[in-house]
Amino acid sequence: MNTVMIQDKMYPGLLKEIPDAPKKLYYKGDWNSEIFAYCLAVVGTRRMTSYGKRICEELVGEIAASGITIVSGFMYGVDATAHKATLRVGGKTIAVMPCGIDLIHPEDQEDLYNEILETGGLILSEFEGDFKPLLWTYPKRNRIVAGLCQATLVVEAGEKSGSLITANFTKKYERKLFAIPGPLTSEVAKGTAQLLKEGASIVTCAKDVVDFYRSDPGFSLRFTPPAGRGPTRLQKTQDLHSNSTLEQKILEYLKRESVGLDSLVRAFNVQASQIGAAISILQLEGFISEDQGKFYVN
Amino acid sequence: MLIKVQSAANSGLEAIGVDVEVSVSNRGLPGFDIVGLAGKAVEESKERVRAAIGNSRMEFPQRKITVNLAPADILKEGSFYDLPIAVGIMASVLQYEVPKDSLFFGELSLDGSLRHTKGAVLMALFAKEQGLGNIFVPFPSANEAAIIKGVNVYAIENLSQLAGFLLGKTALQPIVYEEHVEHVEDIEFDMAEVLGQEYAKRAIEIAAAGAHNILMIGSPGSGKTMLARALPGILPRLNEGESLEVTKLYSVAGSMPPQGSLITTRPFRSPHHTISQIGLIGGGSKPQPGEVSLAHRGVLFLDEFNEFPRSVLESLRQPVEDGVLTISRARERVTYPCRFMLVASSNPCPCGYLGHSKKPCICSPREVKKYRKRASGPILDRIDLHVDVPEVDIAKFAENQKASSLSEPSSAIRERIAVVRQKQAVRFKGEHIFTNGEMKNSHIKKYAKLSREAELILTRAGIQYQLSARSYMKLIKISRTIADLADVEYIERNHALEALQYRSKAYELD
Repeated sequence: MNTVMIQDKMYPGLLKEIPDAPKKLYYKGDWNSEIFAYCLAVVGTRRMTSYGKRICEELVGEIAASGITIVSGFMYGVDATAHKATLRVGGKTIAVMPCGIDLIHPEDQEDLYNEILETGGLILSEFEGDFKPLLWTYPKRNRIVAGLCQATLVVEAGEKSGSLITANFTKKYERKLFAIPGPLTSEVAKGTAQLLKEGASIVTCAKDVVDFYRSDPGFSLRFTPPAGRGPTRLQKTQDLHSNSTLEQKILEYLKRESVGLDSLVRAFNVQASQIGAAISILQLEGFISEDQGKFYVN
Repeated sequence: MLIKVQSAANSGLEAIGVDVEVSVSNRGLPGFDIVGLAGKAVEESKERVRAAIGNSRMEFPQRKITVNLAPADILKEGSFYDLPIAVGIMASVLQYEVPKDSLFFGELSLDGSLRHTKGAVLMALFAKEQGLGNIFVPFPSANEAAIIKGVNVYAIENLSQLAGFLLGKTALQPIVYEEHVEHVEDIEFDMAEVLGQEYAKRAIEIAAAGAHNILMIGSPGSGKTMLARALPGILPRLNEGESLEVTKLYSVAGSMPPQGSLITTRPFRSPHHTISQIGLIGGGSKPQPGEVSLAHRGVLFLDEFNEFPRSVLESLRQPVEDGVLTISRARERVTYPCRFMLVASSNPCPCGYLGHSKKPCICSPREVKKYRKRASGPILDRIDLHVDVPEVDIAKFAENQKASSLSEPSSAIRERIAVVRQKQAVRFKGEHIFTNGEMKNSHIKKYAKLSREAELILTRAGIQYQLSARSYMKLIKISRTIADLADVEYIERNHALEALQYRSKAYELD
C-alpha cells in the first residue's frame, strides 16, 4: 500500500506546517515531490451555474497551463470542472478524497479518476481502505486541500458552503485567498461576495493568480505545451464566409449578454430560421459556444 | 328447415365472410346451440337473442335450434352475430325469405332494439367488395356504414321493425350518409397562443412540414405540451384515402361514437406513461389496434418520455421505422398501419429545472445521467429534431411587444405546410413514401441534393461535433424540409446551417 508518513522526507512541506496535519497519507499514482511545489486549491459549489463553469474552465485552464498544480476535492460541480480543465491543458492535478483511498467518490466519475492517474496526477486521502465518506470527513478533507496549497481560489460558493470551510482554513493557515466575483442575484455568488468583502483578493483574470506565484523567486515559467492534447479552443480550419451583418450584430449582442435563441429572435425581430443559421455558423467558426441553451462569446 | 344468413367477421382490418346457418328442427328436445368455434360473447348471444325475440312480441320457437357459424375453423368473437342469428330464427317462425344479397350485423339488446356495434365501416366495405347490395346495421352505427358508397345501408332500430320490412309489411329506405362538420373546432390550441418559444415553434413547423419525429426538452410549464397539442391544428387535413384508413382503425377499435362519420382531422393520441406494451402497440388474443395505430396519419405524443418503461419504448422501434405493424398471436396474425409522427417531450432532469435561469436544479449529476439513460438510445436515434424549450420569462415578454407581431395563427402555418406536403407527395410519387421524414438513405441520395456550400458545412459539422452517419443523414433530411419550406430545390448553405440547431446535443454533454 502506498503511504507517506509525516516524518518522511517526501511528505509535502506546506502540509506539514499546518497544526493538525495528517500523520499518514494514503495515495494513488506516482508520487513525485515536484508536484507539490506550487499548488492552488480550487473549490466551489456542487451546484455550479453555467457562468461558474465557463469561468472555472477558462481561468483554471490558464493557471494550470502555467505549471501550477491544481488541488481540489473530486466532488462534482466546481471540483470536477477544475480537475477536467487542468487535464485538458495537460496540467497536473491532485484530488483529495473525503473517503477511504480505495473508494471512488462520486463513483460515476471513474473516467476522471483514471485520467488524473494516467496523466501523472495524484489521488490522496488520510482515510484507509473503503472507508465511506461521512458528514465530518468533508471538512477534514478540506483542511488538507487548503494545507497543500499556497493559495485557494473560490469559484462559486453559497452562503453556507463547504467551500467556505476551505476558505476559512486558508485564512487560518495564513495562506492567500482568491475569490471570483459573480452576479449579486446569484445564490452561489453570496459566499464569494462575502469573502471578497472580508479581504480576499479579487480575481478577474488568470494573471491575477499566476502573478502571485511569479512573485516567488523559485517559480519560473514552467509551462511547456504538452504534445498531443491540443489547444482548448477549436481552431479555424477553413473560412466559411461568416461576415454577414446579422452575424456581426449577434456577436456584439452576445458580448454584452449571454442569451438563448428565442431572446435573439425577439431582440433582432427576424425569423427564428435566420437566427438559427447565423448561430450555427458562429458556432462552427468557434466564435461562440453553447451551454444549457445559452450562447457565449469565446 | 334450414336458413342461411350472411354476415362477416373481422380479422384486423380485413373482413371474412361468415355464413350463419340456422337449423330449426322438429325432432329432438327443444334447445338452442351455437357451433362453429364461437367465443364467449357469441355463446352469450343465445340469451340475448331469446330475450330479444320474446320481448318483440314474437314467439321463440320451442324446437331444437342449431346455429352453425361457417367456416367453422375461425374463432368467432364479438357480439355482432346477434342480428343474423335472430333473423334466421325469426324466419322459421314468420316464414319470410331472407334476402340473398344482404349482410346482417349488429348486437341486440334484451328489449329487441339494436345497439351501436363496432366495425360497421369495415362490414360495409366488405359488402361492397363482395357485391352484396344491402347491409342491415344497427341504427346508431348506420351513418358510419354509409360512409361506403355503393351499398344500401338499412338502419335498424329494433327487431319488430326489421321483421315488418322482411315480411313486406312496412317500407324502409336506405339511409343517406351525413357528414358531421366537426373540423371547425379542431384547433385546440392556436400557435399564436403559445408565448415566446419562437425557436421551438419553428422546429414544430419543420417537423409538421416533413413529418419528422421531434423531441422537446424543457422545464415544467415552458409550453411543451401546448406546442404538441397545437400540432394537429397546423397539420394538413386528411385526404379521402387517409380518412378512410383512420376511420377503419377507429371503427375496429370501437372508438367511433354513435352516428359517427368519416374522421377528417388528424388523430392526436397522448397515452399516459403507465401504458403497457400491448396498450401502445396493440394485441390481445383477438389483436386490437394499439395507440400507435390509433395515431395513424396523426400524432403520437409521449409526454414525460423518460418516464415510460424502457420495454414499452423499445417496442416502438419497428413501428416508427416501418409504419406498419404485424401482431402475431397463436390463432391469427393481423396487420395494422401505424404511420404516425412521434412527438416526445421530456424534462432536462428529474426535478425539471436543470439550466433554468431562476430556479436551481436539485439533482446530482448522477441522477441526471441516470434519468437521461432511461430514454432508449435507439428510439432517440430515430427522432430527427431535438429542441430545447426554455422557460418563458413573462416579465421580459411583456416588455417586448415586438414578439406578438411574430406569432402567426395556426391557420396560416397550416396553409404553408399543406403546400410543402403536396410538394413532397409529388416528389415521392411511386416511392411508397409521402414525406421527407420517411426518407431512407437511397431516397436521400436521390432527392436531397446539397449545394456545394451546404455540403461543406455539414461535413465540417460532422467532424466538429463527431456526428454519427445516422445523425448526418438526419441533418440532411431536416435540411430538405427547410429547403422545401423556402421553396427551393437545392439545399443551400443556410438550410444546412439551420438544421444544425436541431441536432441532438445530448451526447455532447460531459
